[in-house]
Amino acid sequence: MTGTVPAAELHRVDARRFEVEALPWLDDVYRFALSMTRDESDADDVVQETFLRAYRSWHTFEPGSECRKWLFTICRNVFLRLRERDRRRVDYGGEDAQLEALASEQETQSSFGENAEILSHVDLGPALERAIGELPDVFRSAVVLVDVEGMAYNEAASVLGVPVGTIRSRLFRGRRLLQDSLVVFARDAGLTARDPCEV
Amino acid sequence: MYLTETVAMDCYDVVRQLWDFLDGELTDESMDAIRAHLAQCRQCYPQFDFERTFLDALAATRREHPAPNMVRRKVLAKLRTAGLDV
Ligand SMILES: [Zn+2]
Repeated sequence: MTGTVPAAELHRVDARRFEVEALPWLDDVYRFALSMTRDESDADDVVQETFLRAYRSWHTFEPGSECRKWLFTICRNVFLRLRERDRRRVDYGGEDAQLEALASEQETQSSFGENAEILSHVDLGPALERAIGELPDVFRSAVVLVDVEGMAYNEAASVLGVPVGTIRSRLFRGRRLLQDSLVVFARDAGLTARDPCEV
Repeated sequence: MYLTETVAMDCYDVVRQLWDFLDGELTDESMDAIRAHLAQCRQCYPQFDFERTFLDALAATRREHPAPNMVRRKVLAKLRTAGLDV
């Protein structure tokens, strides 16, 4: 019977579990926060608030479930609240709704033909990181969770609080936009496949 | 029978589902059918290879991006004020 265990002892066990299960995800939560805020100081605030909330609601965490997913969900909510606060100062209009409509349109043409050569010639890391940063938030969060953090569609859907089909359409649209950015990057860098000898 | 079914899988359908396939988000039957198709289709395979390289490059951007020590210290300080003994 838990009733016979002193409250202080229960608290110690809980605190220890938080330390062992939640705190090791600090780097991951920071990376995810930074991908959303794109500003280190804002990410700093979001991470602190995320862990404080997580600790206070630790009793709601289901032992054995994915702690990272749970923390990311809190982190996303903290970020949205922060953005909501900023929106009262800057009016963004219905940008997200328009983008969502765009994402649900039939998938755009693959840029395979044009891009095939580029991928084999260039170190894509820096160009991709910049392109991810420039994606509209709705697409960026899906790409970061699935493609960078390696989550399944249903996990990402749970973090973002949207249906799995929405994750899929946002993800696919985001990927196409990234591929388009790579084509532009390659052209600007003079890396088009037309004259590979000059690369 | 099973083999002829997979052979009959349309290139259009394969290409349309390449990302779902690479993400492992299809049924076992569809995964098998696409795998079988790719193994023998010279038209679809290069596109599969391209998308796989692209997704690998995306995953590689994860790098180790550790939280700065200052952020770590602030988090621990905040948790201490909330009662955690760290
Ligand atoms: Zn084919």
